[in-house]
Amino acid sequence: MSAPEGPLSRSLLGEFGGRTSRLMFYALAAISLMALDYRGHYVDQIRQTAALLVEPATLLIEAPVTAIDRLMQDFQSRQQLLDRMAELERRWLIDQARIGVLEDLSAENRELRRLLGAMGRLESEFVAAELMNIDLNPFSHRVLINRGRVDGLSAGQAVIDATGVIGQIDRVQRHSAVVILISDPDHALPVRIQRTLLRTVAYGSGRTDQLRLPDLPMNVDLEPGDLLVTSGLGGHFPPGLPVATVTDIERRPGQAFALATARPLAELAGGRHVLVIEARVPESVP
Amino acid sequence: MSRREQGNGLLLTSLVMAIVLTIVPLPPMLAPLKPYWVALVMIYWHLEAGRLRHLGQAFVLGLVVDLLTGSLLGMHALSLIILSYLLGRFRARIRFFPPWQQAAAILALLVNDRIVQLWIVVLADRGLPEWSWWLSPLVGVAIWPWLFLGLDALRQRQRLSRSS
Repeated sequence: MSAPEGPLSRSLLGEFGGRTSRLMFYALAAISLMALDYRGHYVDQIRQTAALLVEPATLLIEAPVTAIDRLMQDFQSRQQLLDRMAELERRWLIDQARIGVLEDLSAENRELRRLLGAMGRLESEFVAAELMNIDLNPFSHRVLINRGRVDGLSAGQAVIDATGVIGQIDRVQRHSAVVILISDPDHALPVRIQRTLLRTVAYGSGRTDQLRLPDLPMNVDLEPGDLLVTSGLGGHFPPGLPVATVTDIERRPGQAFALATARPLAELAGGRHVLVIEARVPESVP
Repeated sequence: MSRREQGNGLLLTSLVMAIVLTIVPLPPMLAPLKPYWVALVMIYWHLEAGRLRHLGQAFVLGLVVDLLTGSLLGMHALSLIILSYLLGRFRARIRFFPPWQQAAAILALLVNDRIVQLWIVVLADRGLPEWSWWLSPLVGVAIWPWLFLGLDALRQRQRLSRSS
């Protein structure tokens, strides 16, 4: 564009010029912030401080949404509720029966471990929580739950739902906590292949319906449909929690490792009720 | 209350509404279609009233959105300052466009913004968005006339009540 002459257009040009340099300034500021946030955790302090302000705002905004949600539930028909109750009761009965068997096994297991002199299993307790009605940026792979420091949560604890592992607690606020999903590209989860007991690590892929297993040996015994469970290494997750099923395995010639993909069992995008596992290291058996 | 403060009341209300709409969840099916509310409201005030036209305001607004949505800090700030800059550059022309042409300009701005955000998401290695992510600008443009008329009507009413 050719610059027109005249005092008016020159002042306009000057304004645009100033605007461009200000754009450069702010863009640089934004990019440096992003770089600091991405590389290392330099801005954690800012985030922690901001959370004090942001959290009440989110709670305030969430309240009416939750109220509307409740109201909608109130309008469910009586018949629907009765059906649901019957269904849950039936499931509860079956689960109770299963738990009876498990209690027995658990007692037997403890006895055997005592005889072997092995370390006790991690004792764990659950805290039930609900996902908050707050939509975070889908690319952050985080969700908010409605339990926080006052409920005794701390960073690193495992979060599961009825079907499998969801993620672990990233940041704790007063009445809420941020959960990092296993689909986050920065998240690595120690897992075990249920069938072969091979241990490996499942990484997030950036998509909520996929995990990546990039460091399997080429001759690995793995088939689509194999179940992955937590291996318990790392200490945050108790062993044996279901994580994902293998969907695909790729052995590219010339590569050092085979690459498998798996689909998480838990509903990462749409679940509502979750459990936070409070794993405690048991007192060592003498 | 002074004139300025009354104007600020509506401005603040619309911004707060935009932020609330940004973080209120939609069913998972519809979630990718969520329009960029904050950008739409900012475009309106910039275009029609010459408010919120400073890059610093866009920057701060973007940081607020980043903190509330847990995004990479600076992502929405960058996207909004670029939007604000482009709008400031072409404001004189876009203002006097016929409505459909104005809508097309808004669509171009929103699509450009998606490209900026895609660039950030890919550089930060957060995975590629699904195709439905690109529908959001279309939804934004579909909402634009109603937002425009609604806010215009509210401002008109305020002006009338002030003059009487």
